[in-house]
Amino acid sequence: MFDFSFLLSYNIYGEVNMDIKEKLEILTDGAKYDASCSSSGSNRSGKFGSTNRSGICHSFTKDGRCISLLKILLTNCCIFDCKYCINRKSNNIKRAIFSPEEICYITINFYKRNYIEGLFLSSGIIKSPDYTMNFLIQTIELLRKKYHFSGYIHAKAIPGASPSLIKRLGSLVDRMSANIELPTQESLKLLAPNKNNENIHKIMNYVKNNRGKNFVPAGQSTQMIIGATKETDYDIMKKSSSMYENYNLKRVFYSAYISVNKDNLLPTLKIPPLKREHRLYEADWLLRYYNFRVEDLLDSENPNFNILVDPKASWALKHLDNFPKEVNVCSYEELLRIPGIGVTSAKRIIKYRRHFKLTFKDLKNMGVVLKRAQYFITCDNKFYINSTYLNKSFIEANLVIDNDIKALPYGEQLQLF
Amino acid sequence: MQDIYIYNNTFKGLLCLIYELLQKKIKPYNIKGLDYTPNLFDNLIKLNLKYDGDIIQKFIEEFGNYNFKIIYYVYLSLNAKKEIIIYYYLKNYYNYYRNLPYMRNLKCVDEALKISKKVSAECHKFKGFTRFKKLKNNVYYAEINPDNDILELLSIHFKRRLKNEFWLINDVNRKIISMYNKKDFEIIPSGNWQFKLETSEEENIFLEMWQQFYETVSIKERENLACRRNFMPKKYWKYIEEVKKEL
Ligand code: SF4
Repeated sequence: MFDFSFLLSYNIYGEVNMDIKEKLEILTDGAKYDASCSSSGSNRSGKFGSTNRSGICHSFTKDGRCISLLKILLTNCCIFDCKYCINRKSNNIKRAIFSPEEICYITINFYKRNYIEGLFLSSGIIKSPDYTMNFLIQTIELLRKKYHFSGYIHAKAIPGASPSLIKRLGSLVDRMSANIELPTQESLKLLAPNKNNENIHKIMNYVKNNRGKNFVPAGQSTQMIIGATKETDYDIMKKSSSMYENYNLKRVFYSAYISVNKDNLLPTLKIPPLKREHRLYEADWLLRYYNFRVEDLLDSENPNFNILVDPKASWALKHLDNFPKEVNVCSYEELLRIPGIGVTSAKRIIKYRRHFKLTFKDLKNMGVVLKRAQYFITCDNKFYINSTYLNKSFIEANLVIDNDIKALPYGEQLQLF
Repeated sequence: MQDIYIYNNTFKGLLCLIYELLQKKIKPYNIKGLDYTPNLFDNLIKLNLKYDGDIIQKFIEEFGNYNFKIIYYVYLSLNAKKEIIIYYYLKNYYNYYRNLPYMRNLKCVDEALKISKKVSAECHKFKGFTRFKKLKNNVYYAEINPDNDILELLSIHFKRRLKNEFWLINDVNRKIISMYNKKDFEIIPSGNWQFKLETSEEENIFLEMWQQFYETVSIKERENLACRRNFMPKKYWKYIEEVKKEL
């Protein structure tokens, strides 16, 4: 049995014998700000459960986010005092702690009813990083070994924990993540004085160097909070791009800052900067799948994205002399730069045009959004609209009007352009 | 008169018919199932079909795995013209052979690819949206209402996932039920079947916990109901525990 007696000396108002339902409420509430809920990238199967390579969404919350995993904290007790965090030490909130058996009990029963794809387990830091890490390992070991659970598990690595523990945790889970939280060391110092950048990078480095079939097979991800500090989109994207490059991250998640605490170091935002978050996701996609570099999109003179036009369209408007492109001949890379043509439709165009000459109707069938693409392409040397209109201000005005952000959520299912 | 060829409402029956039509180079006006109600100009034709051997294997050999999968998925769809689309898809195979799936400027190819995609997308959704309840006899029971006939595909998924449980999945739209006995599943009509649907005592505990999790994990400041509806269409809510009370 796990020994909770240390809690008493921590002045933590947790109650070990609290009703499990109440615990679930408290420990879900403390975990919900983590954006990641993806269950993709792993192919596991065993006595009990399996994973699906492309991930499965089981439900959608009222905020439109996908529920794939049971996202909970082991405990919301924490010895740290990160300013932006609901669980910080100085907050006077109800505290709770799950036992490993309780977590297994809920996970297994939710899984059998097909509520979830697996478990996302995170935690506040109790006693020390190693102590907390051990606690996480013990829980997940129980789930994997005693209950033979082969569903998806995503665990948070605790910054500052020793490499041997990172290794053990990594060998049990599908995905591991450590949140960078803020894009610069400076901001981290200001808002999360107990954390240090280096510890997080150490984890990422370790995972990158050891990743394999039996160690974090679905890769690692991280998260940054948007709008709590003064960084520009340019700063944020530069950070993302360097992390993708250095640590082979699967995903960087962006989480619009939500004021949960009052603190004079924090901005007071009534509404979270969701549109900004959306633009960052779009740009993130451009980096990973569209061969864009950060410098194509932003520079020190224009360090923030245009809220009115998406980053790819902004780029195209700045480079109108590159267009129009003839879709029957231009290269895959060129196709990817055309607004309204995504990765899937670009691949289809390449695949099909070898067999017949494409018409606008074919493009439509392949999923090209002509509403956006029409200004930038010709098809068999014909324009879709009267080409005499094609000047920058005309196109820009139209794109702005058509730019209805459908407020895509930030889970598995983000499909763009 | 328009020649309507009738098949026996099974996939194999449809394949046998199409095989015959292609062999004899007969061009049907349409192909329909037994329940078809003809109109004034229709001339219904029922061929006496016999195929010795495994027609499915024959089609896979003739048209390849990929094309076979496409037509099978089209067959599972709700599309009213699916039979004739399959016919034209296969007929065109003899014009383009391996390149057939690339000929998207042909209506039958474009339609077939779109429809089969729809079917697999709906199946993928139900891998998530299916909700089981534990019955008193330890069987897990789910009801689903998909548009397309995805029960077999879905059962393959759950056979791997819940391999050591007894489970039943009831497609209430089609009145068919998949029954799994820890080894294999079988799909039978649910018509006259009487189920004893007594849920286990612990069921409410988990349902309540799940509903509470569902409410709590949502962030109020980000509420976006249109977005939710977009990903989880209302037509599916009836059997999705955490949202059905909002209907
Ligand atoms: S370490 Fe910081 S961010 Fe993590 S739970 Fe504790 S206070 Fe919150």
